[in-house]
Amino acid sequence: MQTHRFDVVIVGAGGAGMRAALESTKRARTAVLTKLYPTRSHTGAAQGGMCAALANVEEDNWEWHTFDTVKGGDYLVDQDAAEIMCKEAIDAVIDLEKMGLPFNRTPEGRIDQRRFGGHTRNHGEAAVRRSCYAADRTGHMILQTLYQNCVKEGVEFYNEFYVLDLILVERDGRKETAGVVAYELATGAIHVFHAKAVIFATGGYGKVWKTTSNAHTLTGDGMAIAYRRGLPLEDMEFYQFHPTGLAGLGVLLTEGARGEGGILRNASGERFMERVAPTIKDLAPRDMVARAMVAEVREGRGAGPDKDYVYLDLTHLPKEQIEAKLPDITEFARTYLGVDPVTELVPVFPTAHYAMGGIPTNVETEVLSDNDTVVPGLYAAGEVACVSVHGANRLGTNSLLDINVFGRRAGIAAADFANSHDFAPLPEDPAAYTISLVEGLRSGAGGERVAAIRRDLQQTMDLNAQVYRTEATLKEAFTDIQELRRRYRHIAVQDKGARYNTDLLEAIELGFLLDLAEVTVVGALERKESRGGHAREDYPGRDDVNYMRHTMAYRIPGAGDESGVRIDYKPVTITRYQPMERKY
Amino acid sequence: MSLADRSLALSTGSRNRQRSNFELYAWLFMRVSGVVLVFLVLGHLFIMNILDGGVQRINFAFVAGRWASPFWQVWDLAMLWLAMLHGTNGLRTIINDYAERNQTRFWLKMLLYVSSAFIILLGTLVIFTFDPTIG
Amino acid sequence: MTATLEPTEAPARIEPRDVTFKIRRFIPETDDDPHWEEYVVSAYPTDRVLDALMKIKGEQDGTLTFRRSCGHGICGSDAMRINGRNRLACKTLIKDLGTGEITVEAIKGLPLEKDLVVDMEPFFAAYRAVKPFLITDGHEPTKERLQSAEERAVFDDTTKCILCAACTTSCPVFWTDEQYFGPAAIVAAHRFIFDSRDAGAEARLEILNEKEGVWRCRTTFNCTDACPRGIEVTKAIQQVKRALIFRRV
Repeated sequence: MQTHRFDVVIVGAGGAGMRAALESTKRARTAVLTKLYPTRSHTGAAQGGMCAALANVEEDNWEWHTFDTVKGGDYLVDQDAAEIMCKEAIDAVIDLEKMGLPFNRTPEGRIDQRRFGGHTRNHGEAAVRRSCYAADRTGHMILQTLYQNCVKEGVEFYNEFYVLDLILVERDGRKETAGVVAYELATGAIHVFHAKAVIFATGGYGKVWKTTSNAHTLTGDGMAIAYRRGLPLEDMEFYQFHPTGLAGLGVLLTEGARGEGGILRNASGERFMERVAPTIKDLAPRDMVARAMVAEVREGRGAGPDKDYVYLDLTHLPKEQIEAKLPDITEFARTYLGVDPVTELVPVFPTAHYAMGGIPTNVETEVLSDNDTVVPGLYAAGEVACVSVHGANRLGTNSLLDINVFGRRAGIAAADFANSHDFAPLPEDPAAYTISLVEGLRSGAGGERVAAIRRDLQQTMDLNAQVYRTEATLKEAFTDIQELRRRYRHIAVQDKGARYNTDLLEAIELGFLLDLAEVTVVGALERKESRGGHAREDYPGRDDVNYMRHTMAYRIPGAGDESGVRIDYKPVTITRYQPMERKY
Repeated sequence: MSLADRSLALSTGSRNRQRSNFELYAWLFMRVSGVVLVFLVLGHLFIMNILDGGVQRINFAFVAGRWASPFWQVWDLAMLWLAMLHGTNGLRTIINDYAERNQTRFWLKMLLYVSSAFIILLGTLVIFTFDPTIG
Repeated sequence: MTATLEPTEAPARIEPRDVTFKIRRFIPETDDDPHWEEYVVSAYPTDRVLDALMKIKGEQDGTLTFRRSCGHGICGSDAMRINGRNRLACKTLIKDLGTGEITVEAIKGLPLEKDLVVDMEPFFAAYRAVKPFLITDGHEPTKERLQSAEERAVFDDTTKCILCAACTTSCPVFWTDEQYFGPAAIVAAHRFIFDSRDAGAEARLEILNEKEGVWRCRTTFNCTDACPRGIEVTKAIQQVKRALIFRRV
């Protein structure tokens, strides 16, 4: 076992992690631990853009952006946080441009902007051009640009280091951060990183579902680690299903396709979004579009041999526009479905995409251990965190904004904390839990396979806890998860080696997925209303009287699958916008 | 060496830096000499093998007659030098591409350079010291 | 607009078939040398090679080791040599590989670590060595730097690089000369050399003018063929050479 000492340790090297690293490295001795190589992170899969009220192409201001974010999030957004994000968005975009990001340009040479779902002028009048973009590979450009700047600043990376535990110590009855424990993929060695401050930027957990736009590596590690260490998870029942995943595959097709003029059609060619959102139609927020699509299929108007998808129609757009503005998704459709969007309709269906919930933080990105107690030295930013700027449903492009604004804030805050505090002492045997976790799985002799349990989990979640949920389906999912957790105890890892043991790590990741699936389902069962990304068919209306509050899920300690979930609530911060009915 | 040190060492670059334009000029030389050689060699072949009855007429007197003129001396000298340098540089590249060990690379190149130098010097010597009277 | 809709009759169902995979395995703890192993897996023609590899790992042999992340060709984790050509396993469909057996091995030219996993560090070291970041001089504007759409288009192709190493490890020069920067690093340099906002072109050209720089390129076009993003890699390298010639001669 090796021990390292750093002022700041950042876990995860996606957009939020690297944005934090750029700030933190300038101020304090920083290490970035990533289970991949930084450029493999899933920020690179984001396509459509990053919204900021630059007003480069038409009148806009950040207050309208804030309103759209709050309304898009079905009023579950903490409005102080949304205000900060939308205000700082402008500098965040300019910062990226100065770092070298190759945005598309207007004829005047300024950053070009395009329309995006739920982004409107003057509180809902009409769609506004707010999304700053680089073709349909904005996330790729952000990831590359941040990595390039990390190379420039000499950020210290530990690539293929899986963080498996967070070290929290009790001092004066309060939890404090002392570091993390990591598993080195190349050698199988356990490393303890003793740190004054830790930033979690580990991303989401889309792999809980079968049909997902998420990477195979998005297994919610950060959330699950925090949860296992007794920290709450906020609003986990709110999970976004992106409307346009390639049917059957889940590969993301950007909302920018509709921003450029693309139209959703059912089997008979009807533009069904006209019925659902008469004003902004196909550019309604994602939760509404996803529900409308599922409704079309359920009511028999789906296309294809099994009538199980709808179409994205780009055929009326000029070929040059499609190839210049949407080159990657055009290629995805051609490669994976053999469909050419220039001349053919593309089969699409909602795909699990983004966790609105996560580790609760305040606007300074400090992690909370209950509704308002800060865990000193612990920070979280990006999809792993819940600030909450996305509320019950995230608007398109606001994730790239989130990672840049709050990633930057986390880097500054963590470095400042490290510079004004001492190391919390490491406990007696800081790696004990991790070693027992790893060795327990490596020596497991049961007959269960990781892939089989993961497949069953993903199936039940797709079937029972997807776009639409009911008490019955959620209970079904809950029962299945309990059974899967029992089976997980008898799991056998075939690879017993030390070097590059991905078999072992997939088993650990599956454990994280099971925990998070349980939290998601329990939260969804307890929230007896429909709001944003959480649609209960048995409670179709929004219930502001009982549920205008964040869910806080705590782990009830217990060995293995004996643990349970305790649900608590936290008030929503409302500043300017009183909840209204959400119509577009 | 810790992992961090290792990646630091790699990022600062442990590769051998050679600040010169040699490779640039070598690359450019290949292109230019190639184009010039096309004319020189095709011209040479045309004169020697096709014109005036072709290869049959070549004998000592013919060569002596040609090298009496400085024009043909320069032609043949240019052809010799350009072809040899072009070929040598090409082989140098091939050795760089295919010889994996530094030792092998070094000795193959030494052999190449010595034999090239020998041929170039010998050829030059012959062109300039050719004595038409010995026939 | 209903005219563009396809006929509603259902296309014929496609059945999965047994596909034989020959995978070059190497477990560092037990094997002295790599060896080939065969696996038969049931796969749909439209399945990705990555799907099949995951199926083998999940159902047959958990020790099979490879890197993967996004699964749709944008993260660059799973470059491997499939039927003798460098490609991304997640962007290669079974149906595009003919009906025979499919061979899979690690990319060449980087140290083999285990099965399909290689040490990527030399690759990233070459990338870092070309100063792959925007270098500017003069005063920072308060808003964005201006750049015309035409100026932006000049280097668009090379911004697409995902650092998968498919190009570099398909290059015969790189196979024998580990000091050569390789196509990917030159692509990274190209992306900035031709960016109108950048002022570091001279420094980067100086680096690429070295003995192990662009002049080692033999224009075999392997890199262009291998690039899963469709970047014209060889062309980019030639443009860097041309920039050097015109600036220095």
